[in-house]
Amino acid sequence: MLPGKERLILELLVSEGPMFGLQLVDRSGGALKRGTVYVTLGRMESKGFIESEQDTPDPGAIGLPRRIYRPTALGERMLRAWATFTREVAWEVKP
Amino acid sequence: MMPGTWLLKIAPLVFNERFIEIVVRPTIADLQSEVAAAGSNRTKRFRVRCRGYAAFWTLMFVAPFASWSEERANVASGLATGSVVVTLLTVVTLGRWTALVAVGATLVALLLHSWYERHPSEIAVPPDAWRSPQINFSSTDIAGNIGGLIFVVGSVLIVSLALPSIFLFLLAGGIAACFVAWGLAAWHTRAQRADWTCAGRPPRLLL
Repeated sequence: MLPGKERLILELLVSEGPMFGLQLVDRSGGALKRGTVYVTLGRMESKGFIESEQDTPDPGAIGLPRRIYRPTALGERMLRAWATFTREVAWEVKP
Repeated sequence: MMPGTWLLKIAPLVFNERFIEIVVRPTIADLQSEVAAAGSNRTKRFRVRCRGYAAFWTLMFVAPFASWSEERANVASGLATGSVVVTLLTVVTLGRWTALVAVGATLVALLLHSWYERHPSEIAVPPDAWRSPQINFSSTDIAGNIGGLIFVVGSVLIVSLALPSIFLFLLAGGIAACFVAWGLAAWHTRAQRADWTCAGRPPRLLL
């Protein structure tokens, strides 16, 4: 089972490359929220679907470094498997 | 001072280190980077700050319900929405004061929950496991000391406050119980039985 938000995040990361959390929120068209996106990302990281690292801040930049997220091989396989599964199920339930 | 500095200070009071690293710090990093990107435009900076703080406090509210397991995290937003609806209904039906007390109590409960998530304590195991747990006072193991007395008096007071119409009944019951206790104590003393509880436990002391 791949929940909708996790599938969306995986799709965005696979299609558009590594992103910050805020970029994911912006690109999701309102499906992901600022206040909860990192909870979902943390859960996906613990499942092994994505990995993250701290971004190297620009010289002279102030504030905390942001985390950049990218899909793992497991995450990409999971996304492909889920897409195949949903396609097969959709074909099965067609009238 | 950078925005989010004091948020980082209060976060360890509620969250564990892993949660702060994975969730809280990125949220605050977003706030800081957006404020920095807003430049000198005060309106834009204010808007960005509002968005960032809203994200942080949403996180504070949702985090106690959320976990890394999917089924619980999925209900987090539902719980948050439900809480707001219940609060509004309470304000409308029972008044602002009751709603305020309810919200305060909920926040304290969330704080306690978060605290015990961070500092799990060992579950107390009664030394005599022969008792089957039941939801009534008769199965509650109360020490025969001042602590037990406070428990009993406190319980009676709470019930009296909740149901003032049965106060006289409780008072009469308490007085009758004292007479029964006195009679039992006298009978056991006369019979010279050290085991007052008839259960192989040591005699209970009043103080």
